[in-house]
Amino acid sequence: MEERQYDLIFILRPDTPESEIDKVISTLDHAATEKGAKIEKTEKWGRKRMAYRVQRLREGFYVYMVVRSSNGEVVKELERRLKVSDPVIKYLTVRLDEELKRQEKFKRHREKRAARRPKKTVPASVPGQAGEQAAAPVA
Amino acid sequence: MTDANAPQQQAPAAPVAPQAASSGAGAPAGAPPQSQGPGGFGGRPGGPRPGGPGGRPPGGPKRGKRNFVRKKKVCRFCVDKVDLIDYKKADVLSSFIQDRGRVLPRRMTGTCARHQRWLTVAIKRAQNIALLPFAAEL
Repeated sequence: MEERQYDLIFILRPDTPESEIDKVISTLDHAATEKGAKIEKTEKWGRKRMAYRVQRLREGFYVYMVVRSSNGEVVKELERRLKVSDPVIKYLTVRLDEELKRQEKFKRHREKRAARRPKKTVPASVPGQAGEQAAAPVA
Repeated sequence: MTDANAPQQQAPAAPVAPQAASSGAGAPAGAPPQSQGPGGFGGRPGGPRPGGPGGRPPGGPKRGKRNFVRKKKVCRFCVDKVDLIDYKKADVLSSFIQDRGRVLPRRMTGTCARHQRWLTVAIKRAQNIALLPFAAEL
Protein backbone atom coordinates (compact mmCIF):
# COMPACT_ATOMS: atom_id res chain seq x y z
CA MET A 1 0.00 0.00 0.00
CA GLU A 2 1.24 3.43 -0.69
CA GLU A 3 2.64 5.51 2.01
CA ARG A 4 0.74 8.46 3.24
CA GLN A 5 2.26 11.50 4.69
CA TYR A 6 0.60 13.66 7.28
CA ASP A 7 1.48 16.98 8.72
CA LEU A 8 0.53 17.27 12.33
CA ILE A 9 0.64 20.56 14.15
CA PHE A 10 -0.44 20.99 17.69
CA ILE A 11 -0.33 23.81 20.15
CA LEU A 12 0.29 23.49 23.85
CA ARG A 13 -0.27 25.96 26.61
CA PRO A 14 2.61 28.40 26.67
CA ASP A 15 3.39 27.81 30.31
CA THR A 16 3.91 24.10 29.88
CA PRO A 17 7.29 22.98 31.16
CA GLU A 18 9.70 21.51 28.67
CA SER A 19 9.47 18.10 30.27
CA GLU A 20 5.74 17.99 29.72
CA ILE A 21 6.15 18.89 26.10
CA ASP A 22 8.65 16.15 25.60
CA LYS A 23 6.35 13.75 27.33
CA VAL A 24 3.57 14.56 24.93
CA ILE A 25 5.88 14.14 21.99
CA SER A 26 7.11 10.79 23.14
CA THR A 27 3.58 9.62 23.84
CA LEU A 28 2.68 10.42 20.28
CA ASP A 29 5.81 8.76 19.08
CA HIS A 30 4.96 5.53 20.83
CA ALA A 31 1.40 5.63 19.69
CA ALA A 32 2.55 6.07 16.15
CA THR A 33 5.06 3.24 16.19
CA GLU A 34 2.46 1.00 17.72
CA LYS A 35 0.34 1.51 14.68
CA GLY A 36 3.17 1.03 12.33
CA ALA A 37 3.77 4.63 11.51
CA LYS A 38 6.94 6.53 11.77
CA ILE A 39 7.44 10.08 12.77
CA GLU A 40 9.81 11.57 10.35
CA LYS A 41 10.35 14.95 11.78
CA THR A 42 9.50 16.83 14.91
CA GLU A 43 10.00 20.54 15.09
CA LYS A 44 9.36 22.71 18.03
CA TRP A 45 8.45 26.11 16.82
CA GLY A 46 8.35 27.45 20.28
CA ARG A 47 6.14 30.11 21.66
CA LYS A 48 4.21 32.02 19.08
CA ARG A 49 1.53 34.57 19.25
CA MET A 50 -1.69 33.13 17.98
CA ALA A 51 -3.94 34.96 15.59
CA TYR A 52 -6.89 34.67 17.92
CA ARG A 53 -7.55 33.65 21.47
CA VAL A 54 -7.79 29.97 22.14
CA GLN A 55 -9.10 29.06 25.56
CA ARG A 56 -8.46 32.65 26.58
CA LEU A 57 -4.76 32.37 25.77
CA ARG A 58 -2.96 34.59 23.31
CA GLU A 59 0.23 32.62 22.93
CA GLY A 60 0.93 28.97 22.43
CA PHE A 61 3.77 26.55 22.06
CA TYR A 62 3.73 25.14 18.56
CA VAL A 63 5.02 21.70 17.67
CA TYR A 64 5.14 20.38 14.14
CA MET A 65 5.47 16.75 13.16
CA VAL A 66 5.61 14.83 9.95
CA VAL A 67 4.12 11.36 10.14
CA ARG A 68 4.47 8.70 7.55
CA SER A 69 2.24 5.71 7.52
CA SER A 70 0.67 3.24 5.22
CA ASN A 71 -2.29 2.98 7.51
CA GLY A 72 -4.78 5.73 8.05
CA GLU A 73 -5.82 4.59 11.51
CA VAL A 74 -2.80 6.10 13.09
CA VAL A 75 -4.20 9.59 12.65
CA LYS A 76 -7.26 8.80 14.66
CA GLU A 77 -5.13 7.43 17.43
CA LEU A 78 -2.79 10.38 17.50
CA GLU A 79 -5.64 12.81 17.52
CA ARG A 80 -7.31 10.95 20.29
CA ARG A 81 -4.18 11.23 22.38
CA LEU A 82 -3.96 14.91 21.65
CA LYS A 83 -7.55 15.42 22.53
CA VAL A 84 -7.23 13.89 25.97
CA SER A 85 -3.93 15.53 26.69
CA ASP A 86 -4.40 18.53 28.92
CA PRO A 87 -1.70 20.94 27.81
CA VAL A 88 -2.68 20.57 24.15
CA ILE A 89 -5.15 23.23 23.15
CA LYS A 90 -5.34 22.84 19.41
CA TYR A 91 -4.27 20.39 16.78
CA LEU A 92 -4.54 19.95 13.06
CA THR A 93 -3.70 17.01 10.87
CA VAL A 94 -3.28 17.50 7.17
CA ARG A 95 -2.87 14.75 4.68
CA LEU A 96 -0.21 15.74 2.27
CA ASP A 97 0.75 12.90 0.02
CA GLU A 98 -1.62 13.75 -2.79
CA GLU A 99 -0.45 17.32 -2.83
CA LEU A 100 3.15 16.30 -2.81
CA LYS A 101 2.49 13.90 -5.65
CA ARG A 102 0.91 16.68 -7.58
CA GLN A 103 3.82 18.92 -6.87
CA GLU A 104 6.17 16.27 -8.14
CA LYS A 105 4.10 15.84 -11.25
CA PHE A 106 4.21 19.52 -12.05
CA LYS A 107 7.86 19.70 -11.41
CA ARG A 108 8.52 16.78 -13.70
CA HIS A 109 6.34 18.20 -16.44
CA ARG A 110 8.05 21.47 -16.21
CA GLU A 111 11.47 19.94 -16.36
CA LYS A 112 10.49 17.79 -19.27
CA ARG A 113 9.20 20.78 -21.13
CA ALA A 114 12.28 22.73 -20.38
CA ALA A 115 14.49 19.93 -21.58
CA ARG A 116 12.56 19.71 -24.81
CA ARG A 117 13.20 23.30 -25.64
CA PRO A 118 16.44 23.78 -27.51
CA LYS A 119 18.95 24.88 -24.98
CA LYS A 120 22.41 26.05 -25.83
CA THR A 121 24.53 24.45 -23.20
CA VAL A 122 22.55 21.54 -21.86
CA PRO A 123 23.13 18.16 -23.48
CA ALA A 124 19.83 16.84 -24.79
CA SER A 125 20.55 13.31 -23.69
CA VAL A 126 19.97 14.03 -20.03
CA PRO A 127 16.21 14.11 -19.46
CA GLY A 128 14.92 16.82 -17.25
CA GLN A 129 18.15 17.74 -15.61
CA ALA A 130 18.54 21.14 -17.19
CA GLY A 131 21.18 23.03 -15.30
CA GLU A 132 19.46 26.34 -15.07
CA GLN A 133 16.10 24.97 -14.19
CA ALA A 134 16.04 25.22 -10.44
CA ALA A 135 13.60 23.12 -8.48
CA ALA A 136 10.20 24.77 -8.17
CA PRO A 137 10.05 26.65 -4.89
CA VAL A 138 7.30 26.08 -2.38
CA ALA A 139 5.57 29.31 -1.55
CA MET B 1 -39.37 30.18 -34.84
CA THR B 2 -36.08 31.04 -33.48
CA ASP B 3 -33.20 29.24 -34.97
CA ALA B 4 -30.29 28.32 -32.88
CA ASN B 5 -28.04 31.16 -33.86
CA ALA B 6 -30.35 34.12 -33.68
CA PRO B 7 -30.85 34.96 -30.08
CA GLN B 8 -33.09 37.91 -30.62
CA GLN B 9 -36.09 36.13 -29.28
CA GLN B 10 -36.91 36.27 -25.62
CA ALA B 11 -35.28 33.43 -23.79
CA PRO B 12 -37.69 30.77 -22.58
CA ALA B 13 -35.90 30.69 -19.29
CA ALA B 14 -35.76 33.80 -17.15
CA PRO B 15 -37.91 36.26 -19.01
CA VAL B 16 -37.15 38.72 -16.27
CA ALA B 17 -33.44 38.30 -16.57
CA PRO B 18 -31.77 41.59 -15.73
CA GLN B 19 -30.75 43.51 -18.78
CA ALA B 20 -27.43 44.25 -17.33
CA ALA B 21 -25.82 44.66 -20.70
CA SER B 22 -27.61 47.92 -21.13
CA SER B 23 -26.62 49.32 -17.81
CA GLY B 24 -23.27 50.35 -19.05
CA ALA B 25 -21.20 47.64 -17.53
CA GLY B 26 -18.86 47.68 -20.44
CA ALA B 27 -20.22 44.76 -22.37
CA PRO B 28 -17.83 44.05 -25.22
CA ALA B 29 -18.91 44.68 -28.75
CA GLY B 30 -20.32 41.69 -30.43
CA ALA B 31 -22.20 40.45 -27.42
CA PRO B 32 -25.85 39.76 -28.12
CA PRO B 33 -28.07 42.55 -26.87
CA GLN B 34 -30.05 40.10 -24.85
CA SER B 35 -28.08 38.98 -21.90
CA GLN B 36 -29.67 36.35 -19.85
CA GLY B 37 -28.18 34.92 -16.77
CA PRO B 38 -25.63 32.17 -16.85
CA GLY B 39 -26.67 29.04 -18.59
CA GLY B 40 -29.21 30.75 -20.80
CA PHE B 41 -28.79 29.27 -24.20
CA GLY B 42 -26.42 26.67 -23.13
CA GLY B 43 -22.76 27.26 -23.19
CA ARG B 44 -22.30 30.88 -22.22
CA PRO B 45 -20.78 30.50 -18.81
CA GLY B 46 -20.63 33.91 -17.22
CA GLY B 47 -22.85 35.89 -19.43
CA PRO B 48 -21.26 38.38 -21.77
CA ARG B 49 -20.91 40.96 -19.07
CA PRO B 50 -17.58 40.19 -17.45
CA GLY B 51 -15.99 39.62 -20.79
CA GLY B 52 -14.47 43.05 -20.77
CA PRO B 53 -11.57 44.21 -18.68
CA GLY B 54 -12.68 41.91 -15.98
CA GLY B 55 -13.60 44.37 -13.24
CA ARG B 56 -17.18 45.44 -12.86
CA PRO B 57 -17.53 49.02 -11.75
CA PRO B 58 -20.12 48.43 -9.05
CA GLY B 59 -17.89 45.82 -7.55
CA GLY B 60 -14.83 47.98 -7.55
CA PRO B 61 -12.86 48.55 -4.38
CA LYS B 62 -12.96 51.84 -2.60
CA ARG B 63 -10.19 53.13 -4.77
CA GLY B 64 -12.33 54.81 -7.35
CA LYS B 65 -15.49 54.93 -9.31
CA ARG B 66 -15.09 53.19 -12.63
CA ASN B 67 -12.05 51.19 -11.77
CA PHE B 68 -11.29 48.19 -13.87
CA VAL B 69 -8.21 46.15 -13.24
CA ARG B 70 -5.46 48.69 -13.38
CA LYS B 71 -2.76 46.93 -15.26
CA LYS B 72 -2.19 43.42 -16.37
CA LYS B 73 -1.68 41.81 -13.01
CA VAL B 74 0.21 38.59 -13.09
CA CYS B 75 -0.21 35.71 -10.74
CA ARG B 76 2.63 35.81 -8.29
CA PHE B 77 2.67 32.10 -7.98
CA CYS B 78 2.73 31.44 -11.67
CA VAL B 79 5.69 33.74 -12.03
CA ASP B 80 7.58 31.97 -9.31
CA LYS B 81 6.33 28.66 -10.57
CA VAL B 82 5.26 27.34 -7.22
CA ASP B 83 3.68 23.94 -7.16
CA LEU B 84 2.53 23.93 -3.60
CA ILE B 85 1.23 26.71 -1.46
CA ASP B 86 2.29 25.94 2.07
CA TYR B 87 -0.27 26.70 4.74
CA LYS B 88 2.50 27.03 7.28
CA LYS B 89 3.92 30.15 5.74
CA ALA B 90 1.72 32.73 7.31
CA ASP B 91 3.83 35.63 6.14
CA VAL B 92 3.28 34.78 2.50
CA LEU B 93 -0.38 34.08 3.01
CA SER B 94 -1.05 37.18 4.99
CA SER B 95 -0.62 39.35 1.93
CA PHE B 96 -3.66 37.64 0.45
CA ILE B 97 -6.11 38.38 3.20
CA GLN B 98 -7.89 41.58 4.03
CA ASP B 99 -7.02 43.30 7.23
CA ARG B 100 -10.36 42.03 8.42
CA GLY B 101 -9.14 38.49 7.90
CA ARG B 102 -11.13 37.65 4.76
CA VAL B 103 -9.57 36.19 1.63
CA LEU B 104 -8.91 38.78 -1.04
CA PRO B 105 -10.62 38.25 -4.36
CA ARG B 106 -8.63 37.32 -7.40
CA ARG B 107 -9.17 40.54 -9.18
CA MET B 108 -7.35 42.37 -6.44
CA THR B 109 -4.41 40.08 -6.11
CA GLY B 110 -4.11 39.02 -9.71
CA THR B 111 -3.84 35.38 -8.82
CA CYS B 112 -4.80 32.82 -11.38
CA ALA B 113 -7.75 30.54 -10.78
CA ARG B 114 -5.80 27.45 -9.95
CA HIS B 115 -3.56 29.16 -7.46
CA GLN B 116 -6.45 31.00 -5.93
CA ARG B 117 -8.09 27.68 -5.15
CA TRP B 118 -4.95 26.35 -3.53
CA LEU B 119 -4.42 29.62 -1.78
CA THR B 120 -7.85 29.55 -0.22
CA VAL B 121 -7.30 26.05 1.06
CA ALA B 122 -3.99 27.06 2.55
CA ILE B 123 -5.43 30.17 4.15
CA LYS B 124 -8.24 28.25 5.73
CA ARG B 125 -5.84 25.70 7.12
CA ALA B 126 -3.67 28.43 8.55
CA GLN B 127 -6.69 30.06 10.09
CA ASN B 128 -7.63 26.82 11.74
CA ILE B 129 -4.29 26.50 13.39
CA ALA B 130 -4.28 30.12 14.53
CA LEU B 131 -1.51 31.23 12.22
CA LEU B 132 -3.90 33.59 10.53
CA PRO B 133 -6.93 35.26 12.00
CA PHE B 134 -10.47 34.39 11.04
CA ALA B 135 -11.77 37.83 11.72
CA ALA B 136 -9.42 40.50 12.87
CA GLU B 137 -10.56 42.64 15.69
CA LEU B 138 -11.85 46.02 14.74
